[in-house]
Amino acid sequence: MVVREYSEELQYLERLTPHSWRIKKGFQPNMNVECKFYVNQHLEELMFEELKNSCRPGTIGGFLPGMKQIANVAALPGIVGNSIGLPDVHSGYGFAIGNMAAFDISNPDSIVSPGGVGFDINCGVRLLRTNLMEKDVQQVKESLAQSLFDHIPVGVGSKGIIPMNAKDLEEALEMGVDWSLREGYVWAEDKEHCEEYGRMLNADPSKVSLRAKKRGLPQLGTLGAGNHYAEIQIVDEIFDKYAATKMGIDCIGQVCVMIHSGSRGFGHQVATDALVEMEKAMARDKIETNDRQLACARINSVEGQNYLNAMAAAANFAWVNRSSMTFLTRQAFAKQFNSSPDDLDMHVIYDVSHNIAKIEEHIVDGKLKTLLVHRKGSTRAFPPYHPLIPVDYQLTGQPVLIGGTMGTCSYVLTGTHKGMQETFGSTCHGAGRALSRAKSRRNIGYQDVLDKLQQSGIAIRVASPKLVMEEAPESYKDVTEVVDTCHAAGISKKAIKLRPIAVIKG
Amino acid sequence: MEDHEIDGELGPFAPEVYDIPWKQYEYLDHTADVQLHSWGDTVEECFEQCAVAMFDYISELDKCDILEMRRVSVEGHDMLSLLYNFLDECLFMFNCEPFFLAKKVKIIEFDRTAWKIRAELYGEEFDLEKHPQGTEVKAITYSNMQVHEDKPQKEVFVIIDI
Repeated sequence: MVVREYSEELQYLERLTPHSWRIKKGFQPNMNVECKFYVNQHLEELMFEELKNSCRPGTIGGFLPGMKQIANVAALPGIVGNSIGLPDVHSGYGFAIGNMAAFDISNPDSIVSPGGVGFDINCGVRLLRTNLMEKDVQQVKESLAQSLFDHIPVGVGSKGIIPMNAKDLEEALEMGVDWSLREGYVWAEDKEHCEEYGRMLNADPSKVSLRAKKRGLPQLGTLGAGNHYAEIQIVDEIFDKYAATKMGIDCIGQVCVMIHSGSRGFGHQVATDALVEMEKAMARDKIETNDRQLACARINSVEGQNYLNAMAAAANFAWVNRSSMTFLTRQAFAKQFNSSPDDLDMHVIYDVSHNIAKIEEHIVDGKLKTLLVHRKGSTRAFPPYHPLIPVDYQLTGQPVLIGGTMGTCSYVLTGTHKGMQETFGSTCHGAGRALSRAKSRRNIGYQDVLDKLQQSGIAIRVASPKLVMEEAPESYKDVTEVVDTCHAAGISKKAIKLRPIAVIKG
Repeated sequence: MEDHEIDGELGPFAPEVYDIPWKQYEYLDHTADVQLHSWGDTVEECFEQCAVAMFDYISELDKCDILEMRRVSVEGHDMLSLLYNFLDECLFMFNCEPFFLAKKVKIIEFDRTAWKIRAELYGEEFDLEKHPQGTEVKAITYSNMQVHEDKPQKEVFVIIDI
């Protein structure tokens, strides 16, 4: 890749609004469309600094700056609209994390790319409500945290406790949440409040390798590690009273539970398998990209279809996973308060995916088109009246769940019409990393992090002490900044802010 | 990848088996993930050290004992894919039966024409009661993967997704 002078690079960048920038064609070779990224002043500084550092001669690749990655995606065949960078964007494999890209299905050249979905297929967030108030849980938060930690298998090497064999897995992959419902792990209304109703219909377990199934089976119903977590949260601020009420959030102080998890080793294996297949297919179909990691296949090729069907199975796996953890959470709470999940009103507010590819209809240049929308580290945010969102949210728009990092606040947003136009109904997913894990482990003390959390009144249960430093809030961008930027840009609207009082991590 | 027969032996083993080589690896900065860097006199050594580096990241190996040995066989079509498949197979050994944590890795065959490796992994089954939980490794990546053979000290760099 040609390394230009920083000043030359700047020629291709143009500020559009105080919250958005445009990347013109030519910033990277072969761009088919322009790019757009959303930032506020501080986030903008971070992005430009990243770009500047990469322009210094002698810098070897390892990862390209986010801006360059967004531009490389714009060079993929069949892309329409813009390659979008959300405010939490940071470098990833091929696609940046916090990158949305949509491809016109009617164009035979259009591609599908596993890198545009991410290794953790259907990594997402689920929010449960309760009718408990902060005063009900403050006294018992340590024991509640412990109970959740004991009920939900967490961390490296943990195995699922919900009994499953290979046949169960096949059915779960095909049926998604319908399997959980049949087995009695979820309530019927949970389905309604989940993207795709918790089941992608094109899932085909036969397109999933035995290896992936072997990795997945022991991990079904586990939380995972890294930045995955379960948190007991308290409603801290309500920005949109009407939307909050529709979600069953009536007042400040209400207790909720947020679960952030994905498809575990299963999804990773599916992504890995697909990348290997597609690399071979690219030579055959003469697909060229700017980055080896942007391995992709024509949507209508065998490899493309196989991936989409396997991806759907992995998505179903993640929904079954979050459903299983919902079940375990409901049990833990019921036990603690000597009640039933029913009486505690522990409904699912919503369940969103932030690593997934979806077939959706959008208006492009005034025409209705069917697109394959890749959202990697980006959450769907459909506006009011959209047919795919539940009846309950028709007037408010889709709830968008944005998990903060360990110990920081989380948000619920709603989708907007502006977002639908500008970003094909996509918004941020969380905070995005600022410091590398190694740097975090060197600079941030484990005890300091725990003490800080203690002082903030947050009960914490973590499987791996090492992770505590890597996951410290200082290692991440500020989620409030990210969410405020999306709000200011009009691509999603703030509804509720939540703060954690207990954190369970792998 | 097709399924294959898991092949191995239970200890005790010959005394030399219990000698752990010097640690020839480190973890390097990367924003969301980690880069394994290993070195040695031969490429085989680098591969061995790289695999151990990965296991060490998953669970600190000082609590791991050498109780069993498991053999792995992998193939590739070039050096990088061989390294990738080798590490992927080691990861698979941890994530599924036998849920194996290896403290020491010995490559017994490294074929540069057919691009094949056979290796022996020495360690034990992961036990939540005994072994610390480190960081989950989700996948091996080709991102900036490097195998340097041109100097007397050979080096390998691999970024793993965590």
